[in-house]
Amino acid sequence: MELADFCVKYPFSKKAKELLDSENIQLSEEIVSKGLSRIKNALAGDTSRSSAFHKSDKVEEVASYAAARMILGYMKNRYLTNRFAVAEAKRANHYLSKEDSAIMNEVAAEFGIVSENESDGKLLVPIPTFVKFAPKSIDYKLINRNVHDGKVELIYREKIRLTEEAVKKRVEQIPLVKNASESIKKAAEDLKKDLPKLEPMRTITFKEGDNPPCIEKLLEQVKKHENLNHQARWSLAVYLVGKGMGIEKVVSLYSNLPDFNEKITRYQLEHIKKRGYTVPGCSTMLTYGLCCAECRIGNPLNWKSKEERMNWHKEREKNA
Amino acid sequence: MLDDKVKRFAIGKISEYYATTAKFAIPSLEKREFGIGNIKKIDARHLCFNSEQEFRGYLVSNTPLFVSHSAAFYERPGATPIDKKGWLGAELIFDLDLHADGKYGVYAILDKVREDAINLVEKFLVDDFGVDRKNIIIVFSGNRGYHIHVRDPDYFDLGIEERREIADYINGTGLNYRNFFEEIEIPGRKLTKKVGPKPSDHGYRGRFARAVIEKLEKEPKTISTVFSNDEKRTKFVDGIINGDWNKTSIADIIERLEPIAKELPVHSIDTDVGVTQDVSKLIRVPNSIHGETGLIAKIVDDITTFKPLDDAIAFDISGKKTITITFTEDVPKLDFGKTSYPEFKKDEKKELPEALAMFFMLKGSAIIS
Repeated sequence: MELADFCVKYPFSKKAKELLDSENIQLSEEIVSKGLSRIKNALAGDTSRSSAFHKSDKVEEVASYAAARMILGYMKNRYLTNRFAVAEAKRANHYLSKEDSAIMNEVAAEFGIVSENESDGKLLVPIPTFVKFAPKSIDYKLINRNVHDGKVELIYREKIRLTEEAVKKRVEQIPLVKNASESIKKAAEDLKKDLPKLEPMRTITFKEGDNPPCIEKLLEQVKKHENLNHQARWSLAVYLVGKGMGIEKVVSLYSNLPDFNEKITRYQLEHIKKRGYTVPGCSTMLTYGLCCAECRIGNPLNWKSKEERMNWHKEREKNA
Repeated sequence: MLDDKVKRFAIGKISEYYATTAKFAIPSLEKREFGIGNIKKIDARHLCFNSEQEFRGYLVSNTPLFVSHSAAFYERPGATPIDKKGWLGAELIFDLDLHADGKYGVYAILDKVREDAINLVEKFLVDDFGVDRKNIIIVFSGNRGYHIHVRDPDYFDLGIEERREIADYINGTGLNYRNFFEEIEIPGRKLTKKVGPKPSDHGYRGRFARAVIEKLEKEPKTISTVFSNDEKRTKFVDGIINGDWNKTSIADIIERLEPIAKELPVHSIDTDVGVTQDVSKLIRVPNSIHGETGLIAKIVDDITTFKPLDDAIAFDISGKKTITITFTEDVPKLDFGKTSYPEFKKDEKKELPEALAMFFMLKGSAIIS
């Protein structure tokens, strides 16, 4: 593969950085504007492949990644940065899935993800590497894996998934940009205009202590734009719907998630409501790795807020 | 609160220990943060020392009842607040302890914690995590448990979430042994077959299969009286060896095995998962004195034979030096320094070997007469 092609696919790689250095690319207004589109595409959930054909276009495209990071580094907006990182990582995953294993291994090795082959086609990666880059999902919990002698067993597809997570983590690390050029500032202004639409109203009307610790933690993570795994999203949604929160409000809350897709979210929520799914019990929450306290209430919905507890005590005293 | 006279006396003795007998071996001492405590376990932190000599000198002249160091290494261990220190990495630390009724209840069950410590080291750290034994330091906490320090650089740079994953693995959070089993359809028939773990499998799967076989061989009735029958038991065990769990007529066999699955993790790290996760945690300095017992938080050479109340004694136990103390509360029978002592009653006056007298005084059960 041509170096430029590699760099277009993996603009976060060392090779891409070297390419930009060697081509002596300046962040022209045009490149900054491409960087801006790159961020906007990420926000729209567009992770489509590159269509660059000529070498100069390819180099520009790699530069647009660098420009996008400059813009984000100047804006210091966690929501934007996280969504950008998720989109870039998903794009990398698409490329890696089609790639020769040699190239995939090269990209993975950039992040220290190096595996040994086992005889039966399984791969082994060291535990520290695995826990660093495992996605937050029940299937990737260490306890559900085959672990031996400091290594975790996984299959090829899972190695790609680990690499995706590593890309996300690297892309998220954006250094602050203090002295931004005019074109970067302009691009930032442009993005800010979109922000009120993007950054949702946080219309949660809960008071502190209204919800059990596991739910509080999930709400906090959503507010911080962290990427929740499927079980976490599902459990929180069923809980909120069960508490009587309107679908619009939950959609608005979930738009905080870095890979928010309104259509899918709405569909799932309506499904939950229609089918009347029950909130996962505490033991299930524990299996999902979501339980973070010992409330002994059996189900998160049994949580009593302070006010409710007070009333309950008053009632009891009255009846006594 | 400790009696003033007791405290002054204890501080003098502990200082003497630090001046003469204490052996420290703290890797990267100059990169660690230290904390000391007299009223609480940690009253002051952010201390740092350039050498063992300087550290020892401090202990001899300032003698706190408790001294801890960070699991973490820092560029500037003395800087405040913590995020100014320049975190370079941290050892993995596991804190194992048990709680029991009363001040002395726990000393009767110290063997249970020791078993957990062995389990943690051998089955989890060595077998599963591949840590070299020379990088595992087992330290008696000085009171009722053990601290396991993992000094394997491969694990130093893990963050909080990642350490939590490891703690979850060891204490079994999220473990669902039912996931070990798969129902596989038998072609051409309307039946399914339970395929499950084999004793030769790695990690929890293999451990579960081995534990089931052991239970079947030692206490078959606890699973089902059916297994008292040698033939039926052998048939089932032979199946398990090949991952075939169908060689029994008991329909709810998998459900019946739940208690065995529950015994697999190391539960005594539950309450202190925080230690493993918290990358800025302070942990008692190995071979320092625990100010609530006067025992040494001793680095254990051979855990299989270690008995804290015999082997972690810092002061004279031979009877050459004795102290006469008056008990301020009842204390139960106790084995200490390879001798069995009877119970003592409140207001009883007794001349006891120095180490034991210190133990009772620091526990707040006696004062100097």
